[in-house]
Amino acid sequence: MTFYEKELYRIRSIVYSNEGQINTAIGIRNYIENHYDVNLNLDLLSHIQFVSKYHLLRVFKKYYGLTPRQYLIDKRIEKSKEHLTNGMLVTETCFAVGFESLGSFSTLFKTKTGKSPTEFQKEQLSRSKIDSES
Amino acid sequence: MKVTLISIPVRDQEKALKFYTEILGFIKKKDLPLEGGNRWLTLVSAEWQDGPELLLEPAPNHFEPCKVFQDALMEAGFPYTQFDVDNVDTEYERLSKLGVDFSVKPTEMGTVKVAVFNDTCGNNIQLVEEL
Repeated sequence: MTFYEKELYRIRSIVYSNEGQINTAIGIRNYIENHYDVNLNLDLLSHIQFVSKYHLLRVFKKYYGLTPRQYLIDKRIEKSKEHLTNGMLVTETCFAVGFESLGSFSTLFKTKTGKSPTEFQKEQLSRSKIDSES
Repeated sequence: MKVTLISIPVRDQEKALKFYTEILGFIKKKDLPLEGGNRWLTLVSAEWQDGPELLLEPAPNHFEPCKVFQDALMEAGFPYTQFDVDNVDTEYERLSKLGVDFSVKPTEMGTVKVAVFNDTCGNNIQLVEEL
């Protein structure tokens, strides 16, 4: 066994010994992965996992390094990029990934990717046109 | 400032290019000649072609401390870097069949699963799947 593998087991026994917490964190992540397109909030997530909102927030952040809200936003932006690349309209994309206002979607998209959804889509579509021509 | 490049030290660029494209499945992006037969050689992931580029850098051949560091990491089994995959078990099966040597078999570490293989160019590389 390499030194690295020994270290993995040593660290795991210290950091990842609480199986209950890990399962809660994984359960929340899976729920977000499968339901990012609807209106998700802490109340709903805590109800599903049978834990308090504060415990849920703390546990998720402890094991994934970001809050469920931040995780959800990243997931939605990632999915919206796929939709835009496939030619879905910006407004349609916004609602398809669970955002409720076009304004907040556009602002978040620009903050996260450096481009507005429209700019991003134009770039992707012109790129696929070049690819198909070459 | 933007992060667009990750450098991996390799002993033989041509061998690394073959391993990273033919076995791992990366795609060659840039390949331009520099002095002394060295190349600026970068790859991208097949499923994320506008993502960061991987630079296969022949640093260990030209800068001894890099070689020493790389050897020490290799001997202790430490990964030089890690790549994300959807399923570590599937990749482990696929790569093992292609003759890739794993020093750490798929192992759960809390909310991730990892495995470590030898890239045959001087590095251990970790695969990681978020659970």
